[in-house]
Amino acid sequence: MRIVAEDLSRSFVNTRALSDVSVALEPGRVHAFVGENGAGKSTLLKILAGAEQPDSGRMALDGEPYALKSVADATHRGVGLVFQEITINPSLTVAENIFAGMLVRFRRHGLLRRGGLNRAAQELLDSFSAEISVSQPLSSLDLGQWKCIEVARALSASPRAVPFDESTAFLNHREVDIVLEAMRALRRQGLIVAFVSHHLAEVDAVADGLTILKDGRKVGDYAANELSRDQIQSLMVGRDLSKGLFPPRAAQASSDVLMRFDDIADKHLKPSSLALGGREIVGIAGLKGAGGQRILEIAAGAAPLQSGEMRLSGAPFRPALPAEAWAKGVAYLPGDRTGEGLIVGASVLDNLVMARPPRRGPLFDHARAKTLSDALIRRLSIKTKAPQTRAGALSGGNVQKVVLGKCLAVDPRVLLLNNPTRGVDIGARAEIYRSLREAADRGLGILLASEDLNELIGLSDRILIMRAGRIVARIDDPASASEDAIIRHMT
Amino acid sequence: MTSVKSQVEAEPQARSNFFGREGVRRFFPVFLLVALAVAFSLTSSRFLQFNNLMIVAQQAVVLLVAALGMTFVVIAGSIDLSVGAIVAIAALVAAKTSGSIGVLAILPACAMGVVCGLINGLIVAKGKVPSFIVTLGAMVVYRGVVLYFTRGAPVSIENEAFLDTYSGRTAGIPNSVLIALVLIGVAAFMLNLTVFGREVRAIGGGERIAHLSGIRVDRAKILIFVLSGLLCGMAGLLQGARAMAATAQLGEGLELDAIAAVVVGGTPLTGGVGSIQGTILGALIITILSNGMNIIGLDPYFQNIVKGLVLVLSVFITIDREKIGIIK
Repeated sequence: MRIVAEDLSRSFVNTRALSDVSVALEPGRVHAFVGENGAGKSTLLKILAGAEQPDSGRMALDGEPYALKSVADATHRGVGLVFQEITINPSLTVAENIFAGMLVRFRRHGLLRRGGLNRAAQELLDSFSAEISVSQPLSSLDLGQWKCIEVARALSASPRAVPFDESTAFLNHREVDIVLEAMRALRRQGLIVAFVSHHLAEVDAVADGLTILKDGRKVGDYAANELSRDQIQSLMVGRDLSKGLFPPRAAQASSDVLMRFDDIADKHLKPSSLALGGREIVGIAGLKGAGGQRILEIAAGAAPLQSGEMRLSGAPFRPALPAEAWAKGVAYLPGDRTGEGLIVGASVLDNLVMARPPRRGPLFDHARAKTLSDALIRRLSIKTKAPQTRAGALSGGNVQKVVLGKCLAVDPRVLLLNNPTRGVDIGARAEIYRSLREAADRGLGILLASEDLNELIGLSDRILIMRAGRIVARIDDPASASEDAIIRHMT
Repeated sequence: MTSVKSQVEAEPQARSNFFGREGVRRFFPVFLLVALAVAFSLTSSRFLQFNNLMIVAQQAVVLLVAALGMTFVVIAGSIDLSVGAIVAIAALVAAKTSGSIGVLAILPACAMGVVCGLINGLIVAKGKVPSFIVTLGAMVVYRGVVLYFTRGAPVSIENEAFLDTYSGRTAGIPNSVLIALVLIGVAAFMLNLTVFGREVRAIGGGERIAHLSGIRVDRAKILIFVLSGLLCGMAGLLQGARAMAATAQLGEGLELDAIAAVVVGGTPLTGGVGSIQGTILGALIITILSNGMNIIGLDPYFQNIVKGLVLVLSVFITIDREKIGIIK
């Protein structure tokens, strides 16, 4: 099987998402579509999988015309899409999730044949060595394994091509590895595999070929290893970002301690101590659950401190509520931006001033709120039509800038960041990094927990590495550290 | 980078189009109110008479005042089913105290409302029990308290000063309507211009987000239920004055009418958005519908069927499906 697409174009209301893009996908190869947010990579993949229809252009499958009306149509022709979002229903079993919508196949006399269902599901999972048993409860599996269940669902229609739409966006390192391994297994079976990703590390790891897109146009097709990561990034952005992604570090971090943690601990955290100075960005590396996020939650008042002591500018600090932390100038950016960071239904302005609304007595001071939000929109280059635009209408990177703006709006002393650039494109990421370094230079202390090692190395002044609730290593000179060295401590 | 336009393409385009689909959706309560008024005045010449309009206004007052509090509760993403029972308990307190303190019976009546709301709010916010359950239980308990103390017998109100003040007229306009206008002003002011009003919307938009962003969610929720209780205290006072008695059945079913008024006015039960103007329209629609159906002599046994259908039809048209992810 071979999929050839020629001159695909697709426009939305007032933007051209894809202009005359042609690609060819070969069996037994993993093909990556890379580009910034809005470059058209997802649109292209969705058109190939029938989830969207092109305005013009032709597609052919083994020389036969391939015009799709829906995902179901594509499935019928042997192309099974794996979605970006997690589409697992946690109240069903593993096997029910895999055959969701097709359970009727396993019906006999109106009853579900569980044995047959489970056997068929297990066969699919084993076909790409997913190492998941259908008897495991979903709650015991991680997101990477959930994604594999979705892969198995795509495979249930015996496809010959499996496109992945940014399927690793919400996964951590270990979970991503599971999905990449699944892609390799599909390639071994001679299937066409295509995927969209922000992460060049993933492209390096599995892709045989890649197509770079920028502003809806194809920049070019390349073989794996033909370009360095820096070259790929420059082509994606159209300017040289390899050096500019991370701002230069401060000449010297201040020696005065802003925030101290002495042996803080709870059920998930072994006694841990650290100190954060002003003008300093301290990175915390570790897998999910290793403890970094817990430290942030405790400092933010979002989780109770069970033992140990925290001090803020020398004074005891023990927030019982996030409100108390914010009141003392400790701002918190949570890991899930739409579930914890900002209200998608509220306006950009509403979100920016949410943590400490400008007030005159009990009244909301709209004029000052407008001035404040305008200043933040400019300072963080938030791309929004107006401050009154609904936050949910913004792109991922801009949504995250709004959450960061909400933190900076209170003029904090300490900023607690949990994966501030997850799923954010490289252009917006550079702007967020610049804003963070600027804030630090003004005297702020930043504690940064991240699963993106590149970000930790590029941005932090010091790095703490955590494993199983314990700080296991400290790196005082991140500039000379390598990702491999950090990963060795993490696992 | 894509253009700014593409970042905001998901915004509805037809915002200003009054007669487009978006316009119909947003202005449906107004259309409905006007349509009902026109239809009833064409069928009966009595409908538009000043006296009948004042009756409509008086009938609307109790519902409206209770629905003002319900608006805050619903925007915050909660529900208050104890509204009718608080009205009954407050009316009883007003009836019992009006004999001795007359006009000042407003104070114990409102205090009773505040206490009931405070109990609801504390259990919801501190006990972390869903408001539906808490106020469902409270509805039964508060109504039970009224039954226990009255033994089912009405308590009449005879104090002249009390009745003159709360059910008399000033320059032809019922005092209760004037009081309701003041309360509308206060409620709109609180919802739209204060920091508290913004907290209410933020909590309804995402309680965990509001909490993590430094909003004192528990405190705000308690205040919201206290506000609802206080307004029910006022509603009970006005209802008692109008009926010249407190009965155990007073305000029965009012909680559902209040929720209906809020929802018909375009405030979704999912929280986060909503307006006082909408609730005023909703309360008027529900009252005019009942009043008009009586005036044109529609079979009383058929009226509930119409009311229920209007409720569902309004929500079917006004609900903004783009902004509400999950419809439960």
